[in-house]
Amino acid sequence: MKKFSVLYSAVCIAAGIAAAPAIAQAKPILIGVPTSMQLQVGRDTQDAIKMAIDDINGKGGVLGRKLEMVVADETENPETGISAIKKLTADEKVDVLIGGYTSGVTLAQLPHISAAKTIYLGVGAASPSITAKVKQDYENYKYIFRVGPIHAGNQARQVTGFISGFVKGELGISKIAIVGESAKWVQDLVPLLKKGATEAGADVRMTEFFDTQTSDFSPLLAKVKDSGAQYLVVILSHASSDIFAKQWHDARFPIPYGGIDVKSMDGDFCERVGGKSIGELAANFAVRAPLTPKTIPFFDEFKKRTNRSPVYTAFGANDAVYIYAQAVERAKSTAPNAVIKELEKTSYVGIPGTIEFDEMHDVKPGGKGPNFLFVQWQDKCKREVIYPKAQRTAAFMTPAWIKK
Amino acid sequence: MLEILIHGAVSSAIYAMLAVGFTLIFGVARILNLAHGSFYALGAYGAYFFTSHLKLPLLPAALLAMAVVALFAIVVEKVLVRPMRRSQLAVLMITLAVALVVEQALFLTFGSEYRNVPAFVDAKFSIGGVDVGGQRLLALGASIALIALLWIFIQRTRLGSAILAVSQDPEAADYMGIPSDRIFSIVMGLSAALAAAAGVLAGPFLTVQPTMWLLPIVKAFAIVIVGGLGSIPGSILAALMLGYAETIVGYLISTSWTEIVSVLATLLMLIFRPAGIFGKRAAF
Repeated sequence: MKKFSVLYSAVCIAAGIAAAPAIAQAKPILIGVPTSMQLQVGRDTQDAIKMAIDDINGKGGVLGRKLEMVVADETENPETGISAIKKLTADEKVDVLIGGYTSGVTLAQLPHISAAKTIYLGVGAASPSITAKVKQDYENYKYIFRVGPIHAGNQARQVTGFISGFVKGELGISKIAIVGESAKWVQDLVPLLKKGATEAGADVRMTEFFDTQTSDFSPLLAKVKDSGAQYLVVILSHASSDIFAKQWHDARFPIPYGGIDVKSMDGDFCERVGGKSIGELAANFAVRAPLTPKTIPFFDEFKKRTNRSPVYTAFGANDAVYIYAQAVERAKSTAPNAVIKELEKTSYVGIPGTIEFDEMHDVKPGGKGPNFLFVQWQDKCKREVIYPKAQRTAAFMTPAWIKK
Repeated sequence: MLEILIHGAVSSAIYAMLAVGFTLIFGVARILNLAHGSFYALGAYGAYFFTSHLKLPLLPAALLAMAVVALFAIVVEKVLVRPMRRSQLAVLMITLAVALVVEQALFLTFGSEYRNVPAFVDAKFSIGGVDVGGQRLLALGASIALIALLWIFIQRTRLGSAILAVSQDPEAADYMGIPSDRIFSIVMGLSAALAAAAGVLAGPFLTVQPTMWLLPIVKAFAIVIVGGLGSIPGSILAALMLGYAETIVGYLISTSWTEIVSVLATLLMLIFRPAGIFGKRAAF
């Protein structure tokens, strides 16, 4: 047995040597993936990239070269995020970076990405400050692109549209309260939202931020009730979504809520909180609906491969690989400057909509581009699109304990 | 006003369950057990695991979770803590290590996403116009009952007297033939079961995910410093103070300020009265 394995190793080594020149000719294109590996956003980023890579490699790769993925955990901590970028650019010498989740981490990484002169396609972080750098200092920050999600300012605009078009227009409610957790992108977003909602004719009774560690929402909910608001707009991302849904349901809080709730974008959020989010409306970048010809096939293929419903980073990550691959094909090289020129011309029909970049290298929202869909958890934890009206799949359901 | 009264009481009750166990271990074994928050986390995860994977009904699942956590705590005490109990610093390090290992184990087993512990009571109750989830009221009631039981156990039973004796003077207790090592094990198990109970009771309305041990240990720490390390009445009083202070700040100022209350209370107490309200001597 031992003799055999020695022989086997020798054969392998010989085969390796023989194959070496062929591999050297076609060195793979390395895709570096800095993401939060422990979270579903991170796992979905990787799986969606893997799906795109397998598909492209199956069709012969890009410029005759195979694509390969290298992952580094950026967690939700800026220090670790910087190390991840350094590992991918300096040690692994990747050709492109696709990833990101927490805006604070991405912002800390930007100078290091720019110093490494490596193209970065963001698929998770939403702060407008990220792509604002491109406009401020194009020469140094031209490497930064955002494939998704639409940035916080545009999200605010679309949430404002939801407030004026749906909450006010269809439910006939004008008194609203806005609460959000104290995170960078939320602080960017809430003032825009308040301004937009007021301009749309809504009466914003209160706005309040809460600590991300908050474990008891009763004081906050009591204030919302006392303010006289009849609809509660929330901006939740990292920590509190589950506690919020549970305490809203447990107290049978008499005001419906909805807005941006990042964890509630997860396909299994409702089951994870024991069905207590039923009635909540949460904005989502894509759900399994015919948004483009790619949307439903992607959802089904992703589910088949991973047995999970994809979250928003998956759409951006999958599209980003194709967008980069096509730009490289057009540029006939992986040289960053040439690829950037081609990326700027992108018009790619992706999973949530047609992806095109503006002068800040940020994805253009609305119209044919990615939209913000307002999706409600309904009976048996089923998701239905409520707004925009064009994509509606079911009527709005008032939570059972709230009198119409 | 009534809202502050009710919600403050619920927060205080959860804090008290955590802090009483933490201070009990200190009182008896003179160790600061940083793994105490892990017992809370394991209690909640235990209830989740037994109900969702083994499909047990909730009550047996909760009791089983408490028993398993108590057993785990006894093993930790025997194998890891006891050999180094002479050194405060070594105990701090080893219990912190246990807490981190538990966190990672939970990460690997259950992933980072939060999990759902089913509630004993899903109904809503209205008390004087204040809507409160039934599970919160249950947590309040159960906490009072469990702490009262513990109190009676310590004051009225033979084993309780032994615990008191060891906490007053371990050496003298040894001479009187009280097996102090066994007492330590029992106390560790008891306080872990209490923390696990807090996890099971609070799990349905708080979060259940691998890092959930950290905040409770910070709060428990703050409470026992304010109340006086080793003093159970001190812990209960301080838990009430902290629970209400946080609720009042949440109502009157802003929810974004609640988390600073405990840190501020600890700091002020350490500066002005290092022994805490009921502490007989400075702990450090």
